[in-house]
Amino acid sequence: MTLALAGRPPDPSTAPHALRAERLSLGYPGREVISGLDLALPLGRVSAILGPNGCGKSTLLKAMARLIRPQAGRVTLAGRDIHRHDTRQLAREVAILPQAPLAPEGITVADLVRRGRTPWRGALTPWRAEDAAACAAALDAVGLGDLAARPLGELSGGQRQRAWLALVLAQATPHLLLDEPTTFLDLAHQIDLLELLRQRNRQTGTTVISVLHDLNLAARYADHLVLLGPRGLVAEGAPEAVITPDTLQLAFGLAAQVIPDPVSGTPMVVPCGPARKTARNATIETTIEKATQTATKTEPET
Amino acid sequence: MKSGWVLLAVVILLAALAGLAVGQVDIGPAMLWHGALTGEGPGALTLRLIRAPRVVTGLGAGAALGMAGAICQMLFRNPLAAPDVMGFTAGAGLAVVAAIALGLGLPLPPVAAAGGLATAGLVAALSWSPRHDTPPLTLILVGLGIGFTAGALGSFAMTRLPQAEAAEAQRWLTGSLAARDWGQAAQVWGISAVLGLVAAVQMRALAVLELGEAMAAGLGLRAGRARWALVATAVLLAATGVAVAGPLPFVALMAGPLGARVTGARSPLAQMLAAGATGAAIVVLADLAARAALPGIQLPAGVTTGLLGAPYLLWLLARGMARGAL
Repeated sequence: MTLALAGRPPDPSTAPHALRAERLSLGYPGREVISGLDLALPLGRVSAILGPNGCGKSTLLKAMARLIRPQAGRVTLAGRDIHRHDTRQLAREVAILPQAPLAPEGITVADLVRRGRTPWRGALTPWRAEDAAACAAALDAVGLGDLAARPLGELSGGQRQRAWLALVLAQATPHLLLDEPTTFLDLAHQIDLLELLRQRNRQTGTTVISVLHDLNLAARYADHLVLLGPRGLVAEGAPEAVITPDTLQLAFGLAAQVIPDPVSGTPMVVPCGPARKTARNATIETTIEKATQTATKTEPET
Repeated sequence: MKSGWVLLAVVILLAALAGLAVGQVDIGPAMLWHGALTGEGPGALTLRLIRAPRVVTGLGAGAALGMAGAICQMLFRNPLAAPDVMGFTAGAGLAVVAAIALGLGLPLPPVAAAGGLATAGLVAALSWSPRHDTPPLTLILVGLGIGFTAGALGSFAMTRLPQAEAAEAQRWLTGSLAARDWGQAAQVWGISAVLGLVAAVQMRALAVLELGEAMAAGLGLRAGRARWALVATAVLLAATGVAVAGPLPFVALMAGPLGARVTGARSPLAQMLAAGATGAAIVVLADLAARAALPGIQLPAGVTTGLLGAPYLLWLLARGMARGAL
């Protein structure tokens, strides 16, 4: 039996695209981390954005959630530039769990999750039954119903991350963006969280887009992968098409074999040889190139 | 903790009663009671003209400063980030001294407000960096410097004043509740009530900002705009207190953490209200101590809050350094 393939929709690439990057350039003037990216993330699927450190995958996710303004190009939701959407209206469509959100001292799980209802309430709107229902459902979905009254600080790392997830679930958006949601979790809790996200997707049709580090887990839990390299988009599509020895070489400079995961049948990466040959060399090259440029620029005019 | 709120209420009530009874001439509870009921005798006169307006003004000024402090501390997530430490109250005080020195004859609340807002703007501008968001500690340190500068400029302006006005100007440098009338009491309560409501409406935004800028933006808040609105409200609240009582040092710094500790308040709104109540208690008690401590000498209330607050500030700094936060 293949775990991940059970219930996987036939072909994500044909689904209508909701969040889309159009000739998107991100970064600072003179230092673009992403330039001219065209990308479409399928609606109602689980997508993962992958790539080496510094390739701009978190930056891309932030741009998708309108946390940063593009240098050029645009991100569209249902065909419309997200910077043209009303702020609160957009927060009812797209939720994002940033990498390191801050927890107020002593806050309880329930109080944290309540704050996820913000886009649905005005400054003076009282707490309504639907808000309570959304929070209860979110807490149940992450399995923290019994710990709602506990201070967040008393929870374990895995539980804490699920509490944050409950906050964005209470936001009740059709799109859910997560920036490296598994980073500080051990393997069991990583699987736990990814399983939860996929469940949410299968049950409610929520579009889930996360930045992930672990290629094998991403291949197992995502329907659609976006692989970025030091020079931009390397591959995009179903895991089988995206995770190949060639693409890994391009994105990570990593010589690797790809075999079917014995449990799920999805691609599994087995590194062979010293890693990062090309990528590191490329980085060193650019560093030297830049240093030379700077040196030339700062040379005194004598 | 409901008992914390009750405790706070009892402390305020007792402090106010003691504030009415104690002074150059002590008035016993019986005489106060008699005076309040009949409107006759020495109790009635003291009550109506001298001590009652003083106590009521102190309560209002303390509440305004306390709420202002709690808003800034929650917004910047730092117990040092109070309007008095960051120089906003000193700036408001300087504006008032300047207005008196120049003989402008303007109403004091808008003058103090303008001074406070200008100082806040200056602090923000001086610590602004194009590369990254300003860390709260930078704002605090820059504010500290600006505050001292404002204090020094105020002292200088005072030396240029005639004797009588200089004594009055002293209030805007150290903070004092001497010689307050009902007009000032009504002014501080009226303006604080309106600003308190404005602040209360913004507490939901603050609750979201507490989760970090990215989370707040993801939840549909215009984070930058909300942040500025909250700072402006806090500065105006602090200036309202300064306009009647001067920049009573450390009240805004102490009220928030103390109020939260006593009441167990967690939500931003509860914390703000607790800070207001605590600030009111601190000011009235400080004024009481200033009047009763040395027989025959009436110290300004700002001296007592300074004596109380300085050790607290040192403790905060020591703790911050021990934790590696400074």
